[in-house]
Amino acid sequence: MKARNVARIARWETTRSAGDVDRETAVAFVVVLLALAAIVPALVTTGPTPGEGIYRVGVDDDSQYADVVASDPQLAAVDPAADADIVVTETTITYEDTPKGRAALSTLRSATVSYNDFLMRQEPDQAAAFPVVVSLTYLPQSISVTGQPADGADPAGDSTGTGGGDAGTGGDTPQTGTDGATTGGDVPTAGGGLSGLLGQAQSGTPSSISPPFPLQSLVFAFAFLLPLNVVIQAYGSSVLAERINRRGEPMLVAPVSRGDIVAGKTLPYLLGALALISVIALATGAGALSVLAIAPLAALFLAATFFGAMLARSYKELTFVTVTVSVGLTAYAFVPAVFAEVHPIAAISPLTVVVDSITGDGVSAGQFVLSTTPPGLAAFVLFGLGTGVYREEDMFTQLPVPSKLLDALAAPLTARWRVGLWTALFLPFVLVAELFAVAVLFVAPVSLSVPLLLGAVAVIEEIAKSVHVLAGFERGTFDRSVRTAVVVGAASGVGFFLAEKLLLVTQLVGLPDLDVAQAAFSPAALGVSPGLLLVAPLALHVVTAAISALGAARSRLAYLGTLLAAVLVHVGYNLAVVVAVA
Amino acid sequence: MRRLVLARRTLGSLRSEKTIVLALVIQLFIAGFSSFLVVGLVSLYDPGSTEGAIEVDVGVTGNASGDVAAALADDGLRVVPAESEAAASAAFQRGELDALVHATTQPGGRVLVEATAPEGSFRTTLVVSELKSALSALEREQRAGFSQRLTRQPLDLPPEERSNPYFSFTYTVLLPLLAFLPAFISGSVMADSLAEEAERGTLELLRVAPLSLRDVVDGKAVALVGLAPAQVALWLALLSYNGTAIANPLAVLALVTGVAAVLVAGGAALALRIGARREAQLLYSFVALGAFGAASLLPQSPQNLVARLAVDSATTLTWLTLAATLVAAALAYAGLRWFAGGGEA
Repeated sequence: MKARNVARIARWETTRSAGDVDRETAVAFVVVLLALAAIVPALVTTGPTPGEGIYRVGVDDDSQYADVVASDPQLAAVDPAADADIVVTETTITYEDTPKGRAALSTLRSATVSYNDFLMRQEPDQAAAFPVVVSLTYLPQSISVTGQPADGADPAGDSTGTGGGDAGTGGDTPQTGTDGATTGGDVPTAGGGLSGLLGQAQSGTPSSISPPFPLQSLVFAFAFLLPLNVVIQAYGSSVLAERINRRGEPMLVAPVSRGDIVAGKTLPYLLGALALISVIALATGAGALSVLAIAPLAALFLAATFFGAMLARSYKELTFVTVTVSVGLTAYAFVPAVFAEVHPIAAISPLTVVVDSITGDGVSAGQFVLSTTPPGLAAFVLFGLGTGVYREEDMFTQLPVPSKLLDALAAPLTARWRVGLWTALFLPFVLVAELFAVAVLFVAPVSLSVPLLLGAVAVIEEIAKSVHVLAGFERGTFDRSVRTAVVVGAASGVGFFLAEKLLLVTQLVGLPDLDVAQAAFSPAALGVSPGLLLVAPLALHVVTAAISALGAARSRLAYLGTLLAAVLVHVGYNLAVVVAVA
Repeated sequence: MRRLVLARRTLGSLRSEKTIVLALVIQLFIAGFSSFLVVGLVSLYDPGSTEGAIEVDVGVTGNASGDVAAALADDGLRVVPAESEAAASAAFQRGELDALVHATTQPGGRVLVEATAPEGSFRTTLVVSELKSALSALEREQRAGFSQRLTRQPLDLPPEERSNPYFSFTYTVLLPLLAFLPAFISGSVMADSLAEEAERGTLELLRVAPLSLRDVVDGKAVALVGLAPAQVALWLALLSYNGTAIANPLAVLALVTGVAAVLVAGGAALALRIGARREAQLLYSFVALGAFGAASLLPQSPQNLVARLAVDSATTLTWLTLAATLVAAALAYAGLRWFAGGGEA
């Protein structure tokens, strides 16, 4: 790969994109963006409620409950004689015994609570109006999330323990709540909307206390990842455009390598994505580290789009590929980040680094490596696979996506030992998929999550070990003989075994402390003799890979059968290990 | 007739590329994902939804502990008697208690509650919501005791009844999501389809065929506009089967058809005008986003319309807005035909 060529192609990609846009389109873009910029503040100020008026309450205008109904946008007042979900008379409240009627009743109840607070705030005797004042503080407990005592946390536990005692005596409560309560003056308000949500100390009346909101990362997920969709849409279009009407042909015959072309075409979009991320980081107050953490994920967005654009037959197909890519990757980044500041599982997601960077918590090196390495490596491999089919015979032919996929997988298999290399290269995907499975399943009870996870891990690993083997046989790279199948399967198994050591990265953040994560990543690492520790997994991977390779050598249908057999063997092995250890 | 042939061809290409399957899978995934989130969230806040699986143990101390303990116990929390504050605090540290409450009565009769909840744990949210609800009950009780000191009396609360905590989410978020995603995708596919014909140069070929550009656009548009309500009908059927009653299914489908027609016309016009997929598709996304944003400023937003129609709380304004949407759809479609016909009537 030559830097000069890459730079030239990147420049050409940029100027051509800018030159392609006629003046009219450019003006339209500016107008639409300005309109969007005008709509957002309008939406923020009016704050439309999607549930406006979905519950109808029959109430007289002179009833006090009419004010309650008016205070909640979900409730709409109607004439008591008309069709309604709840009817309020002077003495009774009747509701329809339907799901809607009960939901309406519970909405009316909470609206009445707020209305009562509003009434009571106007009372002269505030001590009688708000006879209970709460000050809420959060203290760490000296138990870890896994239920075992945290090692070495005892001194800290003790010191915070005495701190708790102090707070308990009420001697030095830092809250203004104490003053308000003793003087009987105004009720202190809870410490701002956001501090309550972020789990900081607050004080006020019981109804003003807000439980911590565990999904703050949702906001960051959308802020950082949605703009990437714009970039990948443009990028995917540009890649697919090369494949329409053989437009990319002149470039293919130019004296530059395929790698140069792909790198050059990608560079402007990668830089654009990084610039977008940096702007968002500045706007949200996240540090430079968060840009570094999101960068591999942005690269993975682009890599998956590039690969998808190499496989897609038309723009329509590309649209769905792009949406699938963005939905899948957003879920991967988002699900673990839900548990930021709560649980080590969150370290899987790069968004956790962003959250920690904003809240000022430190990020350990291990956390950073775990959240950035798998997506970064996966991006690298996808670019490699896509570049493999960036050639005339694949770019300008129309084939269904699965058969193009087989082409792409078979292309790099120039020798049998390369099967093992590619199995190793698939490991980042295995890691990404297994981490995602752990993140989804770890909330479930252990009796359910561990068996499910063992199954998921077996399926993921067996597919990773065999799918390119199938491609090799289907595309005629290997002859369909039993001997070849065994050799290729063994190569795949050995490759996987060696690359699997990459999973050690999960140790860095203490993920294996979790029962579920242990099942996924280190079932063999528990109290088995070191020799067996090395030989048993190697044997397992070679045997299962050979089983599925035998099927792949016969036909696609046979492959499905042997893949299932390999998965069962794998699950059986994992169960045996878990049982033996327990 | 020829238009129908073209419409069939468009649907056929969607089927052969399996994209329609992928579209349905994506919609299902997004809907499932948001439901999974909300169910998870509600179970964090609402102990009732976990059906009493989680017990919250509270250590109560202080000179007002009697009243507070009674209120907490009434609300379903488990009160653990504590010998002293230090003992309770130590038990909290060891994780035997989920919360500490130290309650003292102040000279004015006010109860000061100092509550401590665990930091950074899954249960924190649940513990705090439980405490909040129990202390609110205590507040009402105490307030009733002071009624002679108040010039206004608080309203009686409506009775408490078990209700589905996801009811509002289903109608105001999930259903609108499932209704408008297909319409948005239809418009996007329309832009793709025309931009691709333009880029490949096959649009020129079609002009030689015995049909006008207007017929071509018409055929594609009919197929894609029709596809949106078909998918939504599937989702509505699925929701009804799962026990979510949909009150005005035909009106919801009419609304979806109207929105899809507007979006498809917009996508087609952009693709025809610009002729390049990348620019057309980007502009389409922005315009569609802006249109939804602007429509949310209406007295009844599209999201609200779907919710009101499906939950059977439609007002006259709802029906008027629906009619206006259909008129806008007809206008957009007529405008597209005029535009595709080269501006002639």
